[in-house]
Amino acid sequence: MNKKKLFSGIGAGILSLSLLLTGCSSADKNGKEDSKGNVTLDVFQFKVEFKKQFEEVAKKYEKEHKGVKINITTVGGGEDYGAALKSKFASGKEPAIYNIGGPQDVQDWQKKLADLSDTKAADVALKGTLDGVSKDGKILGLPYNQEGYGFIYNKAVFEKAGIDPKSIKSYKDLENAVKTLDAKKNDLGLKAVFALPGKETWVTGLHLSNTFLAPEFDNNVLSAFNAKKVDFKYGDAFKKVLDLQNDYSVQPTVSLDYSQQVEELFSLQKVALIQQGNWVYGSIAGIDQKFADNGIGILPIPVEGYKEDAIPVGIPMYWGVNSNKDKNTIAEAKKFLDWLYTSDEGKDTVINDFKFIPAYDGYDASKISDPLSKEIYQYAQDGKTIGWTFMGYPTGWGQDQLGVQIQKYLSKEAKWEDVVKTTKEAWEKSRNK
Amino acid sequence: MMRTKDLSYWLFLAPVLLALSMVVIIPLLFGVYYSFTNWNGIDVGGFIGFENYLNVFKDKEFLDSLWFTIKFSVVSIILINFFGLALALIVTSKIRTNKFLRTIFFMPNLIGGLILGFIWQFIFIKVFAGVGQVFGIESLEGWLSTTQTGFWGLVILMSWQMAGYIMVIYIAYLEGVPTELIEAAEIDGANPFQRLRFIIFPLVAPAFTVSMFLTLSNTFKLYDQNLSLTAGGPYNSTQMVAMQIFKTAFGQSEMAYAQAKAVIFFLIVAAISLTQVYINKKREVEM
Repeated sequence: MNKKKLFSGIGAGILSLSLLLTGCSSADKNGKEDSKGNVTLDVFQFKVEFKKQFEEVAKKYEKEHKGVKINITTVGGGEDYGAALKSKFASGKEPAIYNIGGPQDVQDWQKKLADLSDTKAADVALKGTLDGVSKDGKILGLPYNQEGYGFIYNKAVFEKAGIDPKSIKSYKDLENAVKTLDAKKNDLGLKAVFALPGKETWVTGLHLSNTFLAPEFDNNVLSAFNAKKVDFKYGDAFKKVLDLQNDYSVQPTVSLDYSQQVEELFSLQKVALIQQGNWVYGSIAGIDQKFADNGIGILPIPVEGYKEDAIPVGIPMYWGVNSNKDKNTIAEAKKFLDWLYTSDEGKDTVINDFKFIPAYDGYDASKISDPLSKEIYQYAQDGKTIGWTFMGYPTGWGQDQLGVQIQKYLSKEAKWEDVVKTTKEAWEKSRNK
Repeated sequence: MMRTKDLSYWLFLAPVLLALSMVVIIPLLFGVYYSFTNWNGIDVGGFIGFENYLNVFKDKEFLDSLWFTIKFSVVSIILINFFGLALALIVTSKIRTNKFLRTIFFMPNLIGGLILGFIWQFIFIKVFAGVGQVFGIESLEGWLSTTQTGFWGLVILMSWQMAGYIMVIYIAYLEGVPTELIEAAEIDGANPFQRLRFIIFPLVAPAFTVSMFLTLSNTFKLYDQNLSLTAGGPYNSTQMVAMQIFKTAFGQSEMAYAQAKAVIFFLIVAAISLTQVYINKKREVEM
C-alpha cells in the first residue's frame, strides 16, 4: 500500500468513526437522581394556551422546593400530542408527568401509569371527574380543569333584536329566537345567525354529537367506552339542532373552519351565535377585549325529550404519572400535582393565572374572571349539565366517521338516515374487533 | 482508479452507507416487520401475519383515496410537464427578459408546501368569492367546499408550484440541443412546429424521463399541500393516500395497519415509477 492510499484510508476511517461517535455523545440521565439527591421532573403536556403561566409556576415551585427541577415540554393539539407522546416514549426519554385523555388512553398506557389514589388532589376531585381514569380500583389520572360548551351569543345583538336570552329554555324558544334574528339580520349588521364550522370535525363529530349521545350512555364516559353499539336515541333532536345551525349559517358550512367561525365572523360580530366553549375566550379577547369581557354569554344546547337547558361540562385532559420512573421521582411528581391543585398558592394560580374552571373542591368560584367560565361554573353548580362522553367513543369514530359523515350530509351527498346507519355500523365494527 | 477490493473504497463509502441504512434501510425493514404485527404505537402485540394486508384491500376509504390520488396525479403530471416545457421554451427563446423570467417562474418552488396551501386557500375561498360576487360568476363561489373544486384547487396549486421546477430541467436539456441541427433543419425547410416535433423533442427525451419521474413521485406522495389546502374535506373526498395513511396511524392509532398500507403504497409507487423510467428510456435517442 503506498503512502497516498494509506492517508486516504485513515481519512475515511476517521470520517466514519466521527459519524458513529456523534450519535453517542449525549448520555441520558433523564429522570434519575443524581449524586446530590436532586430529582428532575420532565413534564410533557398539551395545553398550549397556558404554557407561559405553567412554566412560571414551575419556576416558583423549583425555588421553594430545593432539589426539584422541572422541565416542561409543550406539544399542542390533540392529534399531534398523541403522536408526539408515543415517539417520546419510543425514544427512551420518557417523561415523568404526561397527559391522558380518557378510557382509551388509560387502556393504551396503563402499564406506564402510576396509581394516584393516595394523592390529596384525588380526594378533592369533583364527583364523577375521575370515572374515566379509574381502573381496577386505581386512579390513574388527575383532572386538568373543567370545560363546557354551548351556543355562545352576542349580548348586544340579542338586546337589539329584543330577545331575552334568559327566556330561551327549550328548542322551540331557540328556534324562534333564531328566526327573529334572521328576519332582522340586515338591521343588526349580521351576515347570518350562525357560523357552523363543518370543516372542524371535532365541533360536529365530538362536541355536538356528545350532547345527544351522552344521555343514552347515562352521561358516563365509561358506559360509552364499554358500549357495544350506539342507538342515536336522540338522533332526531340531534338532526334538528344541526339543521337549524346549517340553515341559518354563513355558507358553505362544509369548508368553514374554526378561525373563520370564531375570529372572523363571531369576534367581528358578523354572526350572533356559535357553538363553542369557554376556550374561545382567549381568541375573542385577542381581537376585541371589551367584547370578550362584556359582550358574550352562553346558551344551552337543547336536547328535545331530554334536558333542554343543560350545558355539556367535562374534563378535557388528565395528568398521568409515569410508573416506569423510580420511586422518588414518582413521589415528587405526585407532590407537585398536589401542590398545584390543593395548596393555597396553587389554587390561586389555577384560577387567576391559568383561568381554569377548577375540577376540585375548595375553590373560591367568585374569582373566576372570564364570563363564559363563570356561567359554565354556575350551570355546573346548578346541576344543569350533560356529561362528556366523546372520550369514550371508539378511537377516531367521532371525527373520522361521524364528523366526516356530517360533512357528507351538509354537502347533501348523504341523507341523515345514511349518516346514522353508517356510523352505527362503524361503531359496532370497531367494538367487536 | 480504486478497485472494489480496496479498504479505502469501502471506508470512503462507509459514511454514506451508514447514513443511508440508518435513515432508509433500517426504518424500511422495521416498517415491514411492524406491518405483520398489531402494533399500536406503544406495545407490539402479537404477530398476525397477512391480516393487515388483506384488510387494506377491503378498506373503502383507502381505495377511494388511492383512486383520487391516481386521478390527481395523471392530471397534474400532464399539466405540470406541459406548462414546464412551455415555460422552458419561452425563456430559452430570444426574448429580452428571459433571465428575469426564469427566476420569477422558479419562485413558487421556494415557498414551503404548507404555506402555499394556506395562501391558495385564501385565494380560492376569499379572492375567488370576491371576484365572483363582483362579476356575478357563481361558479367562483364556494371553492374547496365540493369535491370538484377541491380537486381542481389541488391541481392548480400543484401545477403552479412545480411547473417552474420542471422548467429548469427542460431548460438544461433545451440549451444542450446543438444549434447546427436546428439551423440545418431550418435550411431543409422544416417549419417551427416540425423542428420542435422532429428535432427538439427526441433530443430532450431524457428530460421527459427525469421530469416524469419527479412529478410522478411528487404528486403521488403529496401530503402538506393536501393538508393545508383542503385537509381532505369535504367528507374526506379529497384525501390522498399519504394523508389517509397518516390518519390511520395517528388518528385511529392503528400503527401496524397504517404501516401495511404504507408498504403497499410504496410498492405501487415504485412499480409505476420504474415502469415509466423503463419505457421512457427506450424512447431516448443517442446523439
